[in-house]
Amino acid sequence: MKKWISLMLSMVLLLGLAACSPSSTNTDTKKEDTKKEETQKEETKKDEAKKEDGANASGQELTVWCWDPAFNIYAMEEAEKVYNQKNPDSPIKLNIVETPWADVQTKITAIGSSGQTEQMPDIFLMQDNAFKKNFQFYPDLFADLTDSGIDFSKFGQSKVAYSVVDGKNYGVPFDNGVVVGAFRVDLLADAGFKPEDLKGITWKRFIEIGEQVKAKTGKPMFGVTTGDPDMIMMTLQSCGASLFKEDGSLNIEDNQVLKDAIAVYKEMVEKGIVQEANNWDEYVAGFTGGNVLGTINGCWILASVQTSKDQAGKWVVVDMPRLYDNDAKSTNYANNGGSSWAITGTSQKKELAAKFLNDTFAGSVEFYNTILPSSGAIATYLPAANTDAYKQPQKFFHQEQKVYEDIIEFSSHVPSNATGVFYYEAKEAVGTALVGIVKGDDIDKGLKAASDEVKFKMGQ
Amino acid sequence: MTKLKNAMRYLVLLIAAFFSLFPLYWMIVSATNTSTDVIRGKLTFGTNLFQNYQDLIAVQNLKMAMINSARNAILLTLLSVLVCSIAGYGFEVYHDKYKDMVMKILLLTMMVPFAAVMIPLFRQFGNLKLINTTIGFMLPSIATPFLIMLFRQSTRSFPRDIIEAARIDGLSELGIFLRMFVPTMKSTYAAAITVVFMAAWNSYLWPKIIMLDPDKFTMPMLVSNLIAGYVTNYGVLMLAVTICTLPTGILFLILQESFAEGITGSVKG
Repeated sequence: MKKWISLMLSMVLLLGLAACSPSSTNTDTKKEDTKKEETQKEETKKDEAKKEDGANASGQELTVWCWDPAFNIYAMEEAEKVYNQKNPDSPIKLNIVETPWADVQTKITAIGSSGQTEQMPDIFLMQDNAFKKNFQFYPDLFADLTDSGIDFSKFGQSKVAYSVVDGKNYGVPFDNGVVVGAFRVDLLADAGFKPEDLKGITWKRFIEIGEQVKAKTGKPMFGVTTGDPDMIMMTLQSCGASLFKEDGSLNIEDNQVLKDAIAVYKEMVEKGIVQEANNWDEYVAGFTGGNVLGTINGCWILASVQTSKDQAGKWVVVDMPRLYDNDAKSTNYANNGGSSWAITGTSQKKELAAKFLNDTFAGSVEFYNTILPSSGAIATYLPAANTDAYKQPQKFFHQEQKVYEDIIEFSSHVPSNATGVFYYEAKEAVGTALVGIVKGDDIDKGLKAASDEVKFKMGQ
Repeated sequence: MTKLKNAMRYLVLLIAAFFSLFPLYWMIVSATNTSTDVIRGKLTFGTNLFQNYQDLIAVQNLKMAMINSARNAILLTLLSVLVCSIAGYGFEVYHDKYKDMVMKILLLTMMVPFAAVMIPLFRQFGNLKLINTTIGFMLPSIATPFLIMLFRQSTRSFPRDIIEAARIDGLSELGIFLRMFVPTMKSTYAAAITVVFMAAWNSYLWPKIIMLDPDKFTMPMLVSNLIAGYVTNYGVLMLAVTICTLPTGILFLILQESFAEGITGSVKG
């Protein structure tokens, strides 16, 4: 037993020393070296043309926080290559830290509230709808990019608006969240409809089609996640409306557009045109498994649509239905999701980071041409739309539709709206109200309760 | 009548067992299937296990996450059990008029959610230059009121006569603790090790904040990275979850018997 105790104690001591003593730096560097070697090997595998491994070693390093290896991280890696080709004399090395969005938010909250700003990276990715709220709470963490040389007029203006505060630019727009409707052509045909029947229509017409589809095939038109008011938010934006007024004040009660959008949604649920899924996985399974005809969401949903390879040739991409028939403000276009790059205001390498973004995300058509085919990352950088990659017919879609060209076309029509600082709080409250209203609660009472809840959170 | 009663009992147990075991079964089965099959709800074993593993190590550094998690969890478990057992023993064996008050304050800290102390703690650790260090990860959870209480409760059933006898025989106080107390309390230690190891292995929020360096990331962070994208590969995700569950599962199975004894507080004299 004595042995056991002494063994345990010495283990503690040894491990403790190994972990805490300065000597651990040696092991860490070794580890880093092996890791570098590994990544270098991978890179050579990936890209045989790139033989100048040593070139990066002398360059300056920028740290980046973003998520999704197939999408944002991949785009950053390509941007690094593009930048180093443009600037062979002063190459940079990116240290990309994979950080899911929820964790980016947690870390920014922790760092922003504690003032440990040296822990921030040089560049981080921020969800568009959270941009203004984070800026309001932690303005020091965002660098002003207005005079950084980046030409913001080359981006879709509704997209740029997410990261503009008091006329100043704080973000470089990245991925597109323009809303698309993606539907199964074969299932539509079963009910006697052609893809054209879904283009540029109103919700009223959509419901008529949905009823017939439901009667003939027994399937709903599309799915949503229960309690997630994305559908409502998209419909609001398609009318240039939101849950806030231009001056930032809350606009939930007596918001006629909101009430009409909810009425449409409720009607679709009651008629079985919309299927409510319990969670995201079930939602994705709905359209990939053919239980519903399609989906209406930000264009990034096409990545999920295309996971079912056996359905190639059966999908068509259309614009979303509009709310009002004879109202110039009511369009078939909206935005859902998407994100922008921000540069840390306290970073020592602000200028370098801005130059990096300017040479890549805000200034390289080739860059967007490279990332589109492999990741489906659709740009909000308008000059990219005139390039070949965006004009390629896409085999996965019906009659090899040129979906990317169509999507860029959609995004030029998206009306901007006021997102407000408390976007997520308002959205969540409306989501809760929506569940009740669909079950039969009074719409005015429901919205009043939602409005009160958000006002409480806003401290009013 | 008794037969019927028994049958009912087994039925209830069967249902309960089904609900606790099914998720585990589904997790393991899904690890061998493709993402599309997982979404379609396939409940039989597939042939995609190897491919899932390939995909997993292609996007995530599994080895590093396992090593980091193991190092953090083992270190924290050893330190925490050592510190808390001494504290629990001390609280019960030695007398002081304020000790109950101190214990009450300790227990009160259990009621404060971690999210509330997270930011001040981060600030403090930043000033102490402990960010990105293993010690920074461990410090807040080395001494936990729950473990101290667990050890204090089980010390209560430790016969005082043994302590008295050892003192008369000339054993030092530390000697009594190490030679008399520790060997007798094996089952309590087993329970404590299981609890701390599981908590340390699964801990997410604090390491996510304090371990900013990508070389320090752990298994739960790896799992969360897998669901952050626009497209989730559920086969790969389930394989990662299975791998992440294995160490705690194995540890629990090994220490299961003593764990049950330790939690209920019995002592083998």
